[in-house]
Amino acid sequence: MATEKKSGAGNRRQFVRTRVPLAERVASVVIVVLLAAIGVAIAIKGKHFNPDLFAVRTDSLKSTAVAVAGKGGTASSATVAAPVPEISSEKKPSAAEEPAPDGGAEPAAAASKPALKNEPLEIALAGIKPMSDTEFYNSDNLYEKIDGRSPAYQSFNVQQLRCRSFSVLAAPGSFVDVYEYRFDSPVDAFGMFALERDPKGRSLDFAADGYSGEMGYFYRQGAVYVQIIASDVKPETLALTKAIAQNRMQDLPADDHGLAGRRKLPADGMLADSVAFVPENAQGQATFKEVFQAKYKFDGAELPFFIMVAPPDDAAKAWQSFQDFCGKFGTTEKLPDVNGAKIFRAQVFGKWKVVYQRAGELGGVFDAADANLARSFIEKYLRGEIK
Amino acid sequence: MSASNSNPSGVNRREFLVRLGVTGALIAGSGLAAKKLWTPNHFVPGFEKEKGLQLKSYAPEISKVMPSLAIAHGTEHEKTIRAAMGLLGGMERFIQRGDVVMIKPNVAFDRPPALAATTHPDALRAVAKLCFEAGASKVIVADNPINSPTGCFFKSGLTAVAAEMNLDLMYPETNSFAPLSLDGEVLKEWTFFNTPFKKANKVIGLAPCKDHNLCHASMTTKNWYGLLGGRRNQFHQHIHSIVSDFALMMKPTLVILDGMNVLMSNGPTGGRLSDVKPMNTIVAGTDMVSVDAYGYSHLLERDIAELTYLHKAQERGLGNINWKDTLYKEVTV
Repeated sequence: MATEKKSGAGNRRQFVRTRVPLAERVASVVIVVLLAAIGVAIAIKGKHFNPDLFAVRTDSLKSTAVAVAGKGGTASSATVAAPVPEISSEKKPSAAEEPAPDGGAEPAAAASKPALKNEPLEIALAGIKPMSDTEFYNSDNLYEKIDGRSPAYQSFNVQQLRCRSFSVLAAPGSFVDVYEYRFDSPVDAFGMFALERDPKGRSLDFAADGYSGEMGYFYRQGAVYVQIIASDVKPETLALTKAIAQNRMQDLPADDHGLAGRRKLPADGMLADSVAFVPENAQGQATFKEVFQAKYKFDGAELPFFIMVAPPDDAAKAWQSFQDFCGKFGTTEKLPDVNGAKIFRAQVFGKWKVVYQRAGELGGVFDAADANLARSFIEKYLRGEIK
Repeated sequence: MSASNSNPSGVNRREFLVRLGVTGALIAGSGLAAKKLWTPNHFVPGFEKEKGLQLKSYAPEISKVMPSLAIAHGTEHEKTIRAAMGLLGGMERFIQRGDVVMIKPNVAFDRPPALAATTHPDALRAVAKLCFEAGASKVIVADNPINSPTGCFFKSGLTAVAAEMNLDLMYPETNSFAPLSLDGEVLKEWTFFNTPFKKANKVIGLAPCKDHNLCHASMTTKNWYGLLGGRRNQFHQHIHSIVSDFALMMKPTLVILDGMNVLMSNGPTGGRLSDVKPMNTIVAGTDMVSVDAYGYSHLLERDIAELTYLHKAQERGLGNINWKDTLYKEVTV
């Protein structure tokens, strides 16, 4: 019997599958079961993150090392080489970098930027043990350590925070936190230090810009603002806190560049907790920059006194400009020169100012209630009787 | 010849029914699997109709006779907190037998307790104790410090209290977060530390009272900031808006402001004992805006007019800044 061909089928034989071999059936079942098993495995694994399955290629992280170095839970400082620029090798300043000639501004070329290194904070002292790795933060990620406090530090150009905690072996449970905030310049470091100054702090014998509180030591050394904070007031903890503070002071390079005004503030009668730094616009004057001021006990009164150091021409212009400014809002009077210094006295809004300029130094008493007292203070200072 | 071979299609009736049954079962199974795997309200950034997590209210029913604000003055945490809670009607008013309570402390920094930058361990101990006395079956303690959580909890002294009181200390982990949706002023969709809320049915905020560099003060409203994940520092640009959003985001069972030792300056981190002033006061209440209003004016001793985020919250009807207009009680122990 001839097979009937369907229209359009040509000479092809119609495929009719009459039987599926057992091997195919088994293979298909195995494949379906495997697919289902893989799906279930993916679903289970996807719900449980296993960090051990992911090896970190540290080379690929080098470009982000600044952001992650030392941060708990990310790449450790030991494995991630920090590509932070090494601005200079840390060294004690040479004589050329030391204080500028009297009355002159410090040469810009003398500015020595501190090194930015991600070196672990090691302290060779008996009785302490590091609790963790050294942590490093830069200006961008500083908030990860101090959150809402970071903008204050950023406003003074903070570059890096290096910190580490040390347990006190003699006092179980006690620890000491070491924070080293490195700024763009010693002036910046001083600015932040002064902003947070404890009015009740006790002066330190090992750091000119420093004080101790009941639980810690705070000082500026070079471009670094150091905070050594104890966990409690146990004698063992406090003793090691002080030892660590002294250790760090010796280890950090001295650098007072830009702080000539600070050094010129006389020590006689100064209220130790009153030193402040005004980076710009001091006394409302655009020309008054990097001004240091402090309060003094003088003949039973408290007198605020400021000093700025600048190139002599700039200082002279600023002095004249300030005199003109005071004349607009009050009365001014030129006083006789003392030891080469020009002086004017002004009364503005009921308060007295006595302002002098001598070479590159500009300073004066402001907001004084007694004009004669203010004048006397300035004249004694200019004659070298207040040191 | 068999029946199958006689059929030109190669499929007999029995085989057809089997195949039909298998196909139907596969379709039904796929449907069930899809239903099981589908996440309702699945969050997809950019698709506004699909919402992320929305927190439920943990607030107690509003009472017209019971105080909503309690102020207690004393020198010891436990006695003073107990007195404040007594004024509110006791912890039993808020916590019932079998409740799982989440306490949200402020553990933002790895500072020792004496510096008053974090919730004091004595405050946590006292509140947890009161919760257990009221019948709580479990107390969870959770916060999301940006810095190392283990370090922050350890140095603030809360790890020790958790161990001592058998509290469930919950650290944030990779899978602890879920996207949150909120119709806030700036907080719309953000990753949120959600795990504790899956387990707790009562929420207590326990915050220190402290100065804050950016928003003037960190108290019970600002405390919820610690539940956000991600790079939350970007909210610093809109700090008053985001803090006022927390009054919308969280409707806690209770908030407690620890004003025993107040960080008066150099906040939120502090660092010096001289920044800390003993004020010997605990403020507890159901309205975080009222609690913070008292804290700002009487503990930080500042002018409430300058605390923008509280005014924003008040304007949005999220609390009462005029705490004297609320039902409040005050006691000295």
